[in-house]
This record gives sequence, C-alpha cells and structure tokens, in this order.
Amino acid sequence: MARMSIAEALRQAIREEMRRDERVFCIGEDIGIEGGFGGAFTVTLGLSDEFGHERILDTPVSETAIAGVAIGAALAGMRPIADVQYGDFLFCMMDQLANQAAKLRYMSGGQVSVPLVMRAPVGATARGAQHAQSLEAFFCHIPGLKVVAPATAYDAKGLLKSAVRDDNPVIVFEHKLLYGSKGPRSERGALSPIGEVPEEEYLVPIGQGIVRREGKDVTIVAKLLMMYRALAAADILAEQGIEAEVIDPRTLVPLDKELILASVRKTGRLVIAEEDNLTGGWAAEIAAIVADEAFIWLDAPIKRVSAPDVPPPFAPLLEREYVPNEEKIVAAVLSLF
Amino acid sequence: MAVDIIVPPLSQTMDSVLLVEWLKAVGDEVVKGEPLFVIETDKAHLEIEAPASGILQEVLAQAGSEVAVRSTIGVIASADEARPVSPRPEPAPEAARPASRAATAARHPAATGPGGQLLPAERQQRIFASPRARRLAQQEGVPLDEVQATGPQQMIVERDIRAYLAQRKAVPKATPVARRVAEAAGLDLATLAPLPAARITRADVEAALAAREAAAPAGVQWVDLSPTRRTIACRMAESQQAAAEVTLTRQADATELVRLREQILAELSEEDTRPTYTDFLVLIVARQLKRHPHLNAITDGERIGLSEEVHVAVAVDTERGLMAPVLRNADKKGLLQLARERAELVRRALDGIITPEELSGGTFTITNLGSLGVDAFTPIINPPQAAILGVGRICPAPAVHEGQLCIRQLMHLSLTFDHRVVDGAPAARFLGDVVQWIEKPHLIWL
Repeated sequence: MARMSIAEALRQAIREEMRRDERVFCIGEDIGIEGGFGGAFTVTLGLSDEFGHERILDTPVSETAIAGVAIGAALAGMRPIADVQYGDFLFCMMDQLANQAAKLRYMSGGQVSVPLVMRAPVGATARGAQHAQSLEAFFCHIPGLKVVAPATAYDAKGLLKSAVRDDNPVIVFEHKLLYGSKGPRSERGALSPIGEVPEEEYLVPIGQGIVRREGKDVTIVAKLLMMYRALAAADILAEQGIEAEVIDPRTLVPLDKELILASVRKTGRLVIAEEDNLTGGWAAEIAAIVADEAFIWLDAPIKRVSAPDVPPPFAPLLEREYVPNEEKIVAAVLSLF
Repeated sequence: MAVDIIVPPLSQTMDSVLLVEWLKAVGDEVVKGEPLFVIETDKAHLEIEAPASGILQEVLAQAGSEVAVRSTIGVIASADEARPVSPRPEPAPEAARPASRAATAARHPAATGPGGQLLPAERQQRIFASPRARRLAQQEGVPLDEVQATGPQQMIVERDIRAYLAQRKAVPKATPVARRVAEAAGLDLATLAPLPAARITRADVEAALAAREAAAPAGVQWVDLSPTRRTIACRMAESQQAAAEVTLTRQADATELVRLREQILAELSEEDTRPTYTDFLVLIVARQLKRHPHLNAITDGERIGLSEEVHVAVAVDTERGLMAPVLRNADKKGLLQLARERAELVRRALDGIITPEELSGGTFTITNLGSLGVDAFTPIINPPQAAILGVGRICPAPAVHEGQLCIRQLMHLSLTFDHRVVDGAPAARFLGDVVQWIEKPHLIWL
C-alpha cells in the first residue's frame, strides 16, 4: 500500500493506463508545458517527461478545440483523457459533449463508440462564480454519458482507470478541495484526504456505491466534498445518539440505486447533501427515486441540503454560507426526528 | 353509524389477498351476513359476509387489486345516513369517511396540518402518519387514531407505533374492577385481550376464570412455562404447524454393530470416553448426510438451504427440559472424538452451563429413546432443519438371518422428514443407507 493524495492517485492511474495502452493520451491546457503546474491542479505533472508532448498534448486556450479533438480522436479509435481547468468550462463544449459524444453510439446503432474521458474539477474555492460550480446534475441528465465522482485516492485511481477502459464517454468530476492540501496549486481550505492505494493493479467498477459509515437511524447520501462533511456531521450526530449511515455513490450514472434504497429501508430517513444549487439538482433526483421506490419505508420527509439558488459568491464569507457544511447537515437530520 | 368493511385475516402466511369481485355495487342495499365480496387466498376463493346492514356507500378497492389484510376496503352506511351516491366510481373523499375518524378531529383541534397551515374542510379529519408508520400499523393492526404522535410536524412515526405496541402488550385495556379481579386470581390479562380497542370487563375476567376452572381437573397446580419450556413449546408447535412431517420407520439388525462396539470398548484405555450407540449413530448419520445433501438441509418456508457442513444436534433430556447441543462438522470426526465432545456437551447441558451457540446451528438431529426402552416413535423436526432421526432400543429378538431363524440384536429407526424439502424416496434411500452401515459397520471405512 502506498499513501497518496487524489492528485497523485489520478496521475498514477493515467501513467499506468498510458503504459498499458498506446491509444491513451492526454489533452488539455498547460498540462505538459515546461515549467507549468501539470494542469490546473498538478494531476499531469511530469507525465510529458515519460510520454513526450505528442501524448501529453497542450492546446491553445480553447475548450471547444479540446472537445473536438478528443471526441474526434475517440471516434477514430484513440482513448483520450481530456481535461478542463475548471468544470465550468464544460459549458463551452456543450454541443460536442451533449449532441455528439453522448449520442453518436446510439445514433449509429453501435457502429461507432466514443471512449472519451473528460476530467473536470468542481466546487467553490474562492474563485468566483465562473470557476466554482458543481455541474454533476447537468451531465447526469444526458443519456449516453457516464458520470463518476471519486472522493478518495483509492476511488480516484480505480474509477479513472475504469473510465479509460469504458467504451462510452465518461465524465470524471473531481473536487478542487480534495486534490490535496500541499503543493503549488493547493486551494485554500483544502482537505488532505490522503488515502491508501494498493501497489498492485485494481479497478473500481463504474456503478458501485459504497457505505462509508454504517448507521441505523438516518441515511445521508453525499459525494465528493460533501461526503466528508456528511461524515463529520455523522460524528456530531453520534454524540447526540443518532447513528447516521453515510453513502458515497461514487458513480452518479449509472447509479447504485439499490444501495441507497436498502439503506433507506433500514433507516426510514434520508438526507441528501450536495454542493450544487437546489433546484433541479442531483439531490432532487435521489429524493425522487426514494420517494418513488421506498415511499412505504419512509418515516419522515426527505431532506436536501444543497447550495441556495444563487451563483457561487466570490466573497469568502458568502461562500462559506453558500456551500453546505456539517452544521447544516446536522440540522437537516435533526428536523427529521 | 357507518361500518368499515375490513379484509379479514384468513391466512397465517399472507399479508394481502386478491380482491376477486364485489358482489354488490355502490348504492346497493346490503344485509348483515350476506355475501359482500370475494377474495382469493393462497388456498381458495372465499365469499366474505357483510359486517352490517345498510347501504354500500363506498368502495376503496377495485376488483382485481391486491388488498392488505385488515385494511378497510369500503364502508357500509346505515340506511338513514346514506348520502345520495354519486355516479363516480372512485373512492369518496376523506370527509365522507364518518365516525371512525371522529376521534382524530379532537387531536387536530385547530384543524391545521403539518406545518401549521389551515386545512381544507375535507382534510380536517385526516390522520398524519409517515408511510413507514402506516405500514407497521397496518401490519400490527394498530388503529392510528389511538396513537400519540411525536414525529416531525406532529406526524405519527414508526416509534409512536412501537410505543403503542409496547404499551398494548404490557397493559391490555381493562376496567379497574376487571384488573383487580384478574390480579387476585393470578390471571394475565394479556391472555384474554384479543382486540386492542376492546376494554376487558369484570364479566370477561370471570368468564375466563370459569373456563379455566372448568377445563382443569381438580388438584391441578399451575406453573408458568420456564424459558426453556417456552422455547420447546414454540419450536415444537412451529414445527408441527409449518412442516409437512412424514415419519418412516425401519428395522435394523444391529448385531454386528453391538459386536464392533464391544471389540472397541475392550481396546480402550481408562482415559478414553466410552462411545455409546448414540455416538456410533452420530458417526454413521453424519457421514451418510454428506452423501444425502437434501436431508442435511434447512428451510424458511420460502427457500431450501443445503448445508455444505454437517452439524448434528443430539437431543438431551435435562431437568430444565429437552435440549439439543450440536456436534459441529460431525462427518469429519472420529468415533472417540465424537464421544468425547458429546459427553462434554451433555455434561454442560445437564449442569445448565451450555451456551446458546452450542445449542444452535444444527443441520440434522438425532434423538435416542432406546435407553428408556422405546422401540419406535414419531420424532418432531427441530426447525429449521429438514429431518430428525429417532433411535429405538437395541434388544435381542428372533429374526431370520442368512435363512436361519435365530436371535439377533434388533433396533428400530424412525426418520421424520419435512416433505416440503425432500420427498419420500430420497428420505427412504438415506434411511436404507444408514441401516446398511448399522448392519455392516465395516462399510463405514470404505
């Protein structure tokens, strides 16, 4: 076992997949440039030394170009790992992702596939509304895309490797506060989720959630940064005699629905925590599934703890109010008893 | 006074039944006792009688739908209070459900619902309960209008139903006089509280006491069931009710086994535990079970579990009652080890220091009444197991052996099996193989 940050785990996953399969290459802005950071968050740092600039491909500042090249290459049989510096820039690529990448396999009757990996950092980190959004719900809504959201080093490596080997476009959402708290590009307030990663080869299958903490009184579903806040909330709740079960879905599409339903059947209560805005969000979808399929097991209303329906604020004080924290999760849980 | 039409609990095993058809239409006159609707259980179609006379005022479940046992599927109104019936086939609004909801109105005096908002008139009598609480209440037959709500937004939640159930169990409703009379006579009110809502009166208690007097012959001393006795009672009754038990009996010529045992005993040292016939049977049965997996099985009524491992329970008569400690992996152990382990388990059972773990997990049971002089009997399966072998005494008797009439050591084996799990022929083959090894014990080593 080696201990490493999520950024290091992602880098290791990319390195192993590039060594394993010649068709794998990386494309993005400033990902391999001399003297650069290795992408916005150091994930590709040093990879151009081993693989050269033909496989660690720097582009002009044009997300449209990144998407076009990556999707075209995927259609032609390559297995690109593209990234955007901030997930917010995915909106620039929206036509190519939503209308092309997501649909071509379906529209061609399976004659072509788009084995694209699109990595995108999300989360508010005092960088203002255009560098802070949590975009998961947008992409969960588009049939034809898979969506994963690893919150630990182990999952980051295992899921990224599974994503590279998947024949469908997979969007990998990474949280800026989870890359690691050290190094030149660490964000203020970053957590240090250093985790154990096996030396030997492993994959985390797409579509499998995990119970991060077992409990019998309430189910809290949370991903990425919110998973850590849910665990902190569970500690506070435990002091008050409430045993919360924390579920990290890890993959958002396809969702490990049964894991969540089974937990709710046990606890009878559900709180979903997410960093996205409330309306039409991912939490709403989880709530709808449980209301539909486990209604009779519910002992209280379903609660969402989401960001309010405003753009992510720049001011640190406002941002702290905007991003859900453990106190808000605890309050939501307590309202169910 | 309107009367709810309730689906009667007709089957121990079903929570819901199929509503096949209504024999009356909404608006029809019904007479108490005449067939009102038809349901299908796991066994049959049954016509259910009207619980009251009046007008079939509304129907809350349509023919062809699954309806929960004890749920309300319609209302009969008395002729004078029946409203003009609307032609709409769907259920009438809540306000049309009279009487039984009256108690609720008092609980919501301000006629507000969750969150404190003012309720529309037709919702004012509604009981607010979580889906989970409703489910449990229906399962346990709890009337929601008697439950105290403590949940969020003044809603009845699961814990409220559980609290109600705990209280109902602890203190059945009874008049103070009834309570005093029952207490003086040492009568547990819970034993005569069939209806949660009904209050037990002095007359009920006196009737129960009279019945008890009449039923018991003179000079009877009542003793409460001990925990062990209670476990035995439950398990035996459960076994008899749930399993389809069939007993096969077969005679075995144990002459060779008797001889073998004597030879073995002659070779043993002082420290060795002397193996009994039970130990020989455990050895033979355990190894045969490995070859007959369907006899080495458990069932929960829905599924059959074939056990990879053979754990043989052996019935032991103790002061506290019957116990069946388990010899784990008995097929993998030798005779002396089995004898030693069984002797130790029996000692612990007799001393009352045996643990629940040592009494659980068996996959087959052997019960030996031979030492008490019994020849053959019909043992009852130890649930969830699928079979039990009853062992009778070994005694010299005239028999035909190799064409000659001579005195042989004969015994009877009684195999009871659960016909839900295994059929007669495989059970008979298992019994035959056991008998063969008793008669030719040298085959055990093959």
